[in-house]
Amino acid sequence: MIVSWKWLSQYVDLEMDYEDLVDRLTMSGLNHEGTEEIEGDQAIDLEVTSNRPDCLGHIGVAREIAVLYQLPLQLPQVDPPVTGADVSQSCQVEIECPELCYRYTARLVRNVQVGPSPDWLVDRLKVIGVASVNNVVDATNFVMFETGQPLHAFDFSKVSDGKIRVREPSKDEQMEAIDHRKYSLLPGMCVIADTASPLAIGGVMGGAESEVSESTTDVLIEAAHFNPLSVRNTARTLNLHSPSSFRFERSIDPEQLDSASLRCAEIILQIAGGELAPGVVQAGQPAEPPSPITLRTAELERILGIPIPNEFVLRTLTDLGLEITGQADGTVTAIPPSWRHDLTREIDLVEEVGRIYGYDKVPDTAQVPMVASHLPKRDRVLERVRNVLMGAGFDEALTASFVPEPWSAAISPWTDQPALISTQPMLGVLEKASQNIGAVDRIRRSLIPSLLEARRINEYRSNTNIELFETAKVYLPLGEQEIPDQPTMVSLVSGRDFFEVKAILLQVVSRLNPNLTVELVPLDHPLLDTNLAVELWVGEDKLGLVGQVSDGGKQQFRLRSAAVVAECKLDLLESLAVLVPLHHNQSPFPPISRDFNFVVDEGVRWSELESTVRQAAGELLENVEYRETFRDQEKDGDGKKRVLLSVTLRSPSETLTGEMADQVSRGIVSGCQEKLAAALLV
Amino acid sequence: MSLQQFIEQLDELAQSARQSFMGAGDSEELESARVEYLGAKNGRLKTVQKQLGSIERDDKPLAGKKLNEVKQEIQSSFDEASERLVSGPARTERDLRIDATLPGPSQNIGRLHPITQTIDELRDIMGRLGFSPAEGPEIEDDWHNFKALNIPDIHPARDPLDNFYLATAKNTAPALGDNPLLMRTQTSTVQIRVMEKRQPPIRIISLGRVYRPDTADATHFPMFHQMEGLMVDRGVNLSDLKTVIKLFATSYLGDEVPVRVRPSFFPFTEPSVEADYYWNGKWVEFGGAGVVDPNVLAAVGYDPDEVSGFAFGLGVERLCMIRYQITDIRYLYTNDVRFLRQF
Repeated sequence: MIVSWKWLSQYVDLEMDYEDLVDRLTMSGLNHEGTEEIEGDQAIDLEVTSNRPDCLGHIGVAREIAVLYQLPLQLPQVDPPVTGADVSQSCQVEIECPELCYRYTARLVRNVQVGPSPDWLVDRLKVIGVASVNNVVDATNFVMFETGQPLHAFDFSKVSDGKIRVREPSKDEQMEAIDHRKYSLLPGMCVIADTASPLAIGGVMGGAESEVSESTTDVLIEAAHFNPLSVRNTARTLNLHSPSSFRFERSIDPEQLDSASLRCAEIILQIAGGELAPGVVQAGQPAEPPSPITLRTAELERILGIPIPNEFVLRTLTDLGLEITGQADGTVTAIPPSWRHDLTREIDLVEEVGRIYGYDKVPDTAQVPMVASHLPKRDRVLERVRNVLMGAGFDEALTASFVPEPWSAAISPWTDQPALISTQPMLGVLEKASQNIGAVDRIRRSLIPSLLEARRINEYRSNTNIELFETAKVYLPLGEQEIPDQPTMVSLVSGRDFFEVKAILLQVVSRLNPNLTVELVPLDHPLLDTNLAVELWVGEDKLGLVGQVSDGGKQQFRLRSAAVVAECKLDLLESLAVLVPLHHNQSPFPPISRDFNFVVDEGVRWSELESTVRQAAGELLENVEYRETFRDQEKDGDGKKRVLLSVTLRSPSETLTGEMADQVSRGIVSGCQEKLAAALLV
Repeated sequence: MSLQQFIEQLDELAQSARQSFMGAGDSEELESARVEYLGAKNGRLKTVQKQLGSIERDDKPLAGKKLNEVKQEIQSSFDEASERLVSGPARTERDLRIDATLPGPSQNIGRLHPITQTIDELRDIMGRLGFSPAEGPEIEDDWHNFKALNIPDIHPARDPLDNFYLATAKNTAPALGDNPLLMRTQTSTVQIRVMEKRQPPIRIISLGRVYRPDTADATHFPMFHQMEGLMVDRGVNLSDLKTVIKLFATSYLGDEVPVRVRPSFFPFTEPSVEADYYWNGKWVEFGGAGVVDPNVLAAVGYDPDEVSGFAFGLGVERLCMIRYQITDIRYLYTNDVRFLRQF
């Protein structure tokens, strides 16, 4: 809301310093956004919050100033002369949609001379950024920016039969507005019509047909109270936003219709001549009077933290326009004015008194009791995961939670349910090269597609070392209307070798719980390479997956070089994490190592071999390490391979002898032979 | 000769012998130093030794003992010096074939995203003020995102165009039942979830992603991060809020800063305020705050006459962008590694 310094001076004596004024307005709720000097006046831009439509007119702002500076508020006295036949003889109003229009009033000024506005009026409007149209239209705008009540002037000769019908549009009805564009009118909108056709869209914009022009002689002045929600929806649907709809959306002062209309008539008489018909035609119900509110004055200190003198409370409420109707032991009862819809509860009065008293008087040195805070396990787990990944050279990425449908369909490791769809897509979040992929409206079930896109962007920009991880939620639909499961994932995309990435992921796991046994299960997925993709399982729970992106996957995500992806369920890791491991004594005795070179079938997996060795080795086993694989077709025949591994043995209680180690070794050899038909090469 | 003089002579000898041995640059120099001090005929030690005869008889045992000690000391100085020459002769010239300024094989260390770094710092500061992190779902229902936060059905914030309401694939019309699902528009939802489960005193922060359908440009992104703080107890008031904000700003900016609150409007707080801090000669917006609206307390089953509280929220991106002077919010979500590695 832009207010003019000179205009404000009409209602309150602005004897104070300008800087002081804008500062106090800021500190009492009208944030000063800036000031521009126009035509020797100050155009002061104040931010009016949506609960304070009373400050969308100069009088409302002047009232705030009057309250803050303890100055009298001078309201215009309105008493225009009337002439001729009563308005009711020429005009009728009927409201057919009382839920859209609560009240409608009409006044008639006959024989006006439409023409340019006088300089004072042109200047007033210019300072606040409103262009002059003609004297009648300017008068309606002036009163709107003075009182906050939007008004509309019709060329009365265009109102068929002198009858105003306030109604919903009929089917396929259209209207040409004063911007000379045609608008389709829809159910739920409020139309001001005559007996023949729509004249205006109530509270939003007038029609071209009944617009006041040079040829107009009789003017009908509309002052109405429209349903705020309906005005908002209409303005939004038609994309027609006006100062008028802005005010109706926030609701107006229902008690002010008549005085605003009279004020407008008076100004028209002054600047366009004519005669005001006696009386006013009204339809609809007057608004319910505001209810009294009781303020327990002790609440002021309980909520604001400082006591406020009773005298100040009474004076402030009165100055703000409330009527004090009762005072008892520690309470004040008051009826709010009709222009303050925001005052309905005790807490509203606490806020009013507080903001006028000044929040700057509330100390910022309270003794807030000290309490312990704690970091949830989730945060600690995340910190460790991030540290391991950073140490392994991964940069953290943040990607949008929405993806286009083809990416959503590319992989969904955690659910078979289709992704949730947003009724609105995210706009402007895709790089140019990806914009043809589709609307970004799927709520993602995996972070992998987003990370692949991040990798593509980096490849395209010729960046090197594109090693990215993200920790974020995925969204797994449950039943209808049920809040989805939203587990957190830690996911990677890397240009490194599959085995390296898998090892890093297992390092993450082991950092959280070194004793966890993770089972690797081959994974068949079109996005991933047939041979280099595994799922990670802990008992009955799926922990995650690692895989090299298949050629098809590379093509889909337009990647140039090989990439490996991984995703791991952090929630499961969190539940398995041991953040405070217990110390156990290291054995003081030396270890003994033994190497084994087994010939096995190609089909034997390392994981099988390792677990067999572990089982066979028993308690003295400290470690099993994979060394190498060789193939010697001539010596071993087709479909065989040689796997070299080392075993470290150590006892917690004694120095192992060669004899003891040999015994374990024999067990390993026979175990591998029995279970995997492995032959030891000597 | 007095015992005193004899001992002083020996000490000086030990010291100068050590200096000569250690200063020797090669074995020839060392050998001539050895002859000078330890030479069997005319060595300086021998010379001093000859003076033993002129010592008082009663002092002789002591003088003899000292002579033996110094003899050993000089010998060990010589041994040390000769070992040093053998193990590594003092280098006098650099071998230019060895270039110590060559880079070593370096291990890349990844970086945390600047938003995460900002969040971690906010969380840590609030932790020191007694606020513990709390979490809630990002897909929320109407109750937690709006109703319980005192945002009525007709409030403009609920407009379908201003929210990401969700539909299941089967039901492509917006699932606008009694309690439709949507991407949360603010982290205040977590307030409700925590208060529904727990009784006061409460002192929490929630940090995370929120969503609003703005088209992405330099200053907007349809997904961003908020931090929200909530404190509820008996007798919590606006002064406590100002105090916590002041402490927070002082911690975050690393310096005592003036803080002000000015009236504003949010459905879930009353009185509602905007908090600003004074920095580099102007007031900078910190975030929205206020005393928790009694309707919110009532919605979670608290008695607003018994307990009160305050809440405040701020945009993480804004703080992050100001701090690192990032000029376009989209840089944060493009994940160009050259961007990420700057922080």
